[in-house]
Amino acid sequence: MKKTLIKFLLITGLFSVSGNIYSHHAFTAEFDAKAPVNLTGKIVKVEWINPHAWVHVEVIEGLKKTIWMVEGGTPNTLVRNGLTKQTLVPGTVIVVRGYQSKGKLCTPRCRANGRDVTFPDGSKVFMGSSGTGAPRDGADPREPKR
Amino acid sequence: MPYFLRYLLLLIFLSFTITSEEDHHEEESEVHDVMAYVLDPAARGIWNFSGSYVTEEGEFRLEPTSDEGWERIMQSAKTVSEASYLLSLPSRSEGRPLWLAFSSSLEVIGDKAFEAAEHQDPEELFKVGAELYQVCVACHKAYWVKD
Repeated sequence: MKKTLIKFLLITGLFSVSGNIYSHHAFTAEFDAKAPVNLTGKIVKVEWINPHAWVHVEVIEGLKKTIWMVEGGTPNTLVRNGLTKQTLVPGTVIVVRGYQSKGKLCTPRCRANGRDVTFPDGSKVFMGSSGTGAPRDGADPREPKR
Repeated sequence: MPYFLRYLLLLIFLSFTITSEEDHHEEESEVHDVMAYVLDPAARGIWNFSGSYVTEEGEFRLEPTSDEGWERIMQSAKTVSEASYLLSLPSRSEGRPLWLAFSSSLEVIGDKAFEAAEHQDPEELFKVGAELYQVCVACHKAYWVKD
């Protein structure tokens, strides 16, 4: 009886070691779901790098010219969605919907997480990655319906 | 059962639980440090040197143009492989099969990245870089990112 009780206590104690997971969140760590952006401008640079492609968009408001760095999904994800070097061509004017970074100072660059991109012909393509914790805003065709 | 034995067992149990909680925070912090100071910089040592960027002036490749540059990628790749062991330590893996499977994947991918860098193969390195990120995301979904 005594041995059984000691074993029970030891096992119970060992189970108390089992882990909490991090409460940290991939999207919310960097981007502000309450700061949506709608950027119109020409593509000036596209970085085809892992883990995220980056589309640099020149936004002109009055006399002010701002370069926004918009984070996309992985290059492979973008290509699967139809966003390639042939479609994301520098000089093309696009509209990007997304969410601004938590740091709003725009130094050294304004940054945003891109959700979708609209081309001059009106076609709209999802440019993010699924399951990052970004808001369910209908941009991701693969996200589960509410 | 004598009272003193009951109290003794209760004390043992409580001290074990409290110690375990402290140990757990320490282990969690250790995992965080392995990620932040070992694995993440090593992964970036692979990701940042494969692929390209495109401007109106043309396409510019990011892979190294010297043997020393490729050597640095090999170092990063080896670190990714070895990080697999750091994450597999019993205190960190807690025997979780999925955790161990993700850790083992890092070793395989690190070795593939090492080989790609050794052969100075930018396309293969880019492909392996994408695989590396898939493992990161899958593991974070299981143990970190919660919607």
